[in-house]
Amino acid sequence: MSTQAGVAAGVARPKLDQAAAPWRRVSLYTVGAVALLLLALPWVLLRLDIGTYLITLLILFFVQAVVAQSWNLIMGYGGIYSFAQVALFAVGGWTSGVLVHSLGWNPFIAILFSPIVAVIAALGIGLPTLRLRGVYVVLLTLAFHELARVFAVTGPRFISGGGYGLVTVQTFQFGNAIGDQRTIYLYYLAGLIFAIATFVIWRVIHSPLGVAMTALRDSETYAVSRGINQFRVRMVLFTISAFFTGLAGGYSTHYNGGISTTIFDFPRIIDLLAMIVIGGWGTFGGPILGAGLVIGLDQYLVALGEYQNLLLGLILAVIAVFAPQGLWPMIRNAYDKYLAPEGTPPPLEAPPTAPLEGGLS
Amino acid sequence: MSTQLVQAIWGGVLFGSVYGLMALGLTLVWGAVRLLNLAHGAIFVVGSYVAYFVVSRLNLPILVALPIGVLAAAAFAYLMHLTFIRPVIGKPGFDNSTLIATVGISIAVSAAAILIFDPQYKVIPPVIAGNFTVSDVQITKQGLLVIGTSLALFGLVYLFLTYTRQGMAIRAVSQQQEAASLMSIPVVRTYGLVIAISGALAGLAGVLLSPFFFLNPNSGFNPMIQALIVTIFGGLGSVRGALVAGFVLGIFESFVEVFYGVAWAQPGVFLLIILMLIVRPNGLFGIGEVRRL
Repeated sequence: MSTQAGVAAGVARPKLDQAAAPWRRVSLYTVGAVALLLLALPWVLLRLDIGTYLITLLILFFVQAVVAQSWNLIMGYGGIYSFAQVALFAVGGWTSGVLVHSLGWNPFIAILFSPIVAVIAALGIGLPTLRLRGVYVVLLTLAFHELARVFAVTGPRFISGGGYGLVTVQTFQFGNAIGDQRTIYLYYLAGLIFAIATFVIWRVIHSPLGVAMTALRDSETYAVSRGINQFRVRMVLFTISAFFTGLAGGYSTHYNGGISTTIFDFPRIIDLLAMIVIGGWGTFGGPILGAGLVIGLDQYLVALGEYQNLLLGLILAVIAVFAPQGLWPMIRNAYDKYLAPEGTPPPLEAPPTAPLEGGLS
Repeated sequence: MSTQLVQAIWGGVLFGSVYGLMALGLTLVWGAVRLLNLAHGAIFVVGSYVAYFVVSRLNLPILVALPIGVLAAAAFAYLMHLTFIRPVIGKPGFDNSTLIATVGISIAVSAAAILIFDPQYKVIPPVIAGNFTVSDVQITKQGLLVIGTSLALFGLVYLFLTYTRQGMAIRAVSQQQEAASLMSIPVVRTYGLVIAISGALAGLAGVLLSPFFFLNPNSGFNPMIQALIVTIFGGLGSVRGALVAGFVLGIFESFVEVFYGVAWAQPGVFLLIILMLIVRPNGLFGIGEVRRL
């Protein structure tokens, strides 16, 4: 009797708990509809007067969202306070820029090397940094950012361009396409990068690796005692994040026709941070939502001049303290309440807890 | 002694005390409150702009402006504690929230400084003018004042933490918050006290250092990064460590600068700290992981 039950249990696959595998709940129709919408969007937008402007905004959104998602992967999910993201973006941008500018490569081939070099740079930063915790990581990655800036401004001429960065890099050329036609191709390319990055990051978050990293974030001691190699998990995440950041950097260089040393200015970091914090720290959709909101708001706020930074700083502080989960969980809750197909809503993603550190001596 | 050597030592001791002064506030807050205060540079800027305002617009002497600037910085830090730190004390995610909130505050402060004043560099007169030369190296009296103040403050903070009731309360909170609150120590008020003290130290550093570095809305950023490096080098939360590390790094940087050129100073310091963290991951006087658990 008991053996029979045992055999039966062995044959029948155990039913996967819905709450344990929320990614199974994504409907293919939704994803397909979004993809179709994004594919058709430029053709519709071009009918409008400001259509080209809107498309360039969308391209900006794609690029920024890729960087914000990658940053969120390590900072929000991984709990690694790395401030080297802009520097890695710059590494990607400069790699492909130098290959095209100095060696005369085709931008489409050069951009393939951006993520590779960014990953190598990430390995260089990660090896000394990722064994450390919280504050040390903040400091060393800021230090790397600063070193990269100094190198970009004062380095050899083919990199620094005399202190301004690379100003005349060949842009992407699609056959003889010009004007709106070319903008649409640029849009598709950016969209492709965005789609790949989003898909890979989504898979990573919902893979055993992602579970391991969330476990490390929420209870490091317990996760390590269950046999998770903390350093290896962090390193893999860091390189994945660097890969897409570098790719976005390469794209942005050939999209803008150059990369300026002003990219290292502090407001760039702030913008990205604002995207993650406003959208939702450590949530999958948060940085995408945040990128859209911040880029959209920027169009209105830019007229305010310096008040923009004042406002952004205060918004950041207020959200961090009073709504640390950001806006995404709210939208998620509303969706689950009114629109979700069936089943219980997934548990809210818990915010990372504070590690016990400190002591005065 | 050769000019270069005197130059290196003078610069090193001066930088060292400057870094130490900034790092003292950071390390206090980290040690007692476990708050990585990335708005430390912003508080520095608040103190120096208030002093600048008093000197240039109200035409008062710098000796009056100095205490006003220090008080303003302390008040600003306390206000920051009331609005952004106190609501999250003891909640999960204290780390994240305060880190981002202090970054936000520092952006807002530098934007506000641009709006109220302008982005141009400002000059605050030194508290003591004048200088003398030692083997061709100019030694400013303000520099000597900074070194003296820094050393005196380290001594004062040490005595305060060791012998006064408030100081003991701070140390108790830093070691075991729950036990401290069971001994009827007002934990939240202690947080406020530490943050206000740290703000006053940052403000003092701002007013005293502005004659050297000039003053602009972002001038707090570099001293803060340096202070962060010093704090980590000395061991987070260690007052002694901040003092020693300030001088070690200041003198090291100054020697590299004088003998190898300015371009190598920053990379040299970063290399030193990376090596340091490999050898002693908790800094010179940091409390080890094991003891904490």
